[in-house]
Amino acid sequence: MIEFGVIQLLVALLGVVIGIIFGALPGMTATMAIAIFLPLTYAYDLSTSLYLLLGLYVGGISGGLIPAILINIPGTPSSITTGFDGHPMAKRGEAVRALRIGITASLIGGLISLTVLAFFTPVLAKLAIQFSAVEKFLIILFAMTVIAALSRGNMTKGIFAGFLGVFISLMGVFPDNQKLRLIPSLLTTELRDGFQLLPVLIGLFAFSQMFSEAELGMRQMLMKDNVLLDGKETRKFSFKDFKGQIINLFRSGLIGTFIGVLPGVGGSAASLMSYSQCKAWSKHPEKLGTGEVEGLVASETANNGLTGGALVPLLSLGIPGDSTTAVLIGAFMLQGVQVGPLFITQNPDIWNTVLFGLLLSNILMFAVMFWPIKFLANIIKIPMSKLYPAVVLMSVVGAFSTRNGNMTDVVTLIVFGIVGYLFSKIGLPATTFLIGFILGRDLEKYFIDSLKGSGGDLSVFFSRPIGLGIWALIVGFLIYAFLDNRRAHREKLA
Amino acid sequence: MSDLFKINITYSQSHLIMPRIILGVLMILAVVIFIQEYLKARKAKKPFMNIKQWRFFAKDYDKVKLFGSIGLLFAYIVLLNLIGFIAGSIIIASLFNILYAEKKDKKSIAICIGISIIETMVLWFIFGYIFEITLP
Repeated sequence: MIEFGVIQLLVALLGVVIGIIFGALPGMTATMAIAIFLPLTYAYDLSTSLYLLLGLYVGGISGGLIPAILINIPGTPSSITTGFDGHPMAKRGEAVRALRIGITASLIGGLISLTVLAFFTPVLAKLAIQFSAVEKFLIILFAMTVIAALSRGNMTKGIFAGFLGVFISLMGVFPDNQKLRLIPSLLTTELRDGFQLLPVLIGLFAFSQMFSEAELGMRQMLMKDNVLLDGKETRKFSFKDFKGQIINLFRSGLIGTFIGVLPGVGGSAASLMSYSQCKAWSKHPEKLGTGEVEGLVASETANNGLTGGALVPLLSLGIPGDSTTAVLIGAFMLQGVQVGPLFITQNPDIWNTVLFGLLLSNILMFAVMFWPIKFLANIIKIPMSKLYPAVVLMSVVGAFSTRNGNMTDVVTLIVFGIVGYLFSKIGLPATTFLIGFILGRDLEKYFIDSLKGSGGDLSVFFSRPIGLGIWALIVGFLIYAFLDNRRAHREKLA
Repeated sequence: MSDLFKINITYSQSHLIMPRIILGVLMILAVVIFIQEYLKARKAKKPFMNIKQWRFFAKDYDKVKLFGSIGLLFAYIVLLNLIGFIAGSIIIASLFNILYAEKKDKKSIAICIGISIIETMVLWFIFGYIFEITLP
């Protein structure tokens, strides 16, 4: 049974609207929105909170198209290619048309990825149920390789950030023998259980972003031509605009979904890859970038395709697909629900809620954005400087409530805000760090369990066929990464 | 030879196995990054570890807003312990709003304080009252 009523509908609507606002404001992200709203899940049961969080997720990814089209600044990294063709259209006086094409493409992308999620996750979970500790260890190792492999030109730093996350997650008591490790003796009571997930992720994704904006003076990124909606409309939107775009829609939606499935690869990669594929298949590649419907559709279908895709590894393997789902895993953990191979069989209701919530969020997103878009476009005028103080208060309340009132968690929040800010300065990806932090304890548990089973013999990691298959994938991805890195390097030189 | 592929698991020491391995991996990676950066610098014919020209902050960065934000956050912790959530939050939110505001005349400061009182009360009402979440 899916829990659904007026409250759930309202909560999802609230999530979508707030998500759109965060997504539409450059300097604030969907991930940040979910991070600061996570504490509300303490008040609700998991299924009701899922409506809120999925609404925030879909709204946050979709809202990014508004500033991308109107002022040529992506509201979220995933709308990076939307402005390529969307903004030239807006300059021609087709702003509303471009926005509505983008919104419709987003809806279709969301629905394609939802379908993939619904059919693909149970299959993957069924395969994963046969995993022993050895394969579970290897699959986490695989996830970390993929993350690193796809951080193009920055592979070593990506791996480093991931392992640093693992290292930090190991701080505190080891459950097997109840011994404390890696904690300075002054802080043994405060950090007995290590750092808590919630303050770490709010710090990494909300505070570090705030520090970066403060460094740049908290200036609103508005341009002089933000009056685009007041001008005359030269061409109106019609569903006929999608004529001849069917293949493009499916290709881009599937590319977005597939990129979402790969752990740790963000939305910007999805829209960039989809856009370049669109260019490769286009009949008039030279026209792309001058305000072609094709390019806009490719970008927006792909980034919403990401939403369902990123949930596949989360719900079937317990491995987050991107930074936003890494935050979502926090919601499941807070409610004591284990995501992983057994998730669907043990929690069929929650699984159905995820599917229904995602469908509902996509429909609500379309309804909220499509018709009132002229009014909604004013979002980009909301001053970021007035919203950040509220973000501070919400983050502190959230961190404090993690363990029902513990100031250590508030300090953790600020410390990881500074850490995230430093990371962005030295080029370490915070997402990879967070995924390492989330998976670190499991990585250790499966490693030790495997060794206990084999009496300490390391050859156990090469003894089973599924394990060897995962090894083949790891090596394959490393080779791909190496070649891709070299190619990226050569392109840079050329 | 087969001993190479064996790790001794002693119950009392098992909490140290993984941290040691990860620390080893991190050290190797650090060395690799160091060498990569060195080679990159040599290829580009730039001096390695160019500290003089290396800029940590953005050009003309806003010192007051950046360090003000960090300072206010720590002040917030102190205030929460001293005077509680509502009073502490109103003060800190006001200071944040004033810090980030572009104009700092009397009118805009009054607006900042007004907004902060509303923000705090709304949060207190939603989190503390409706949802009964523990507030600092």
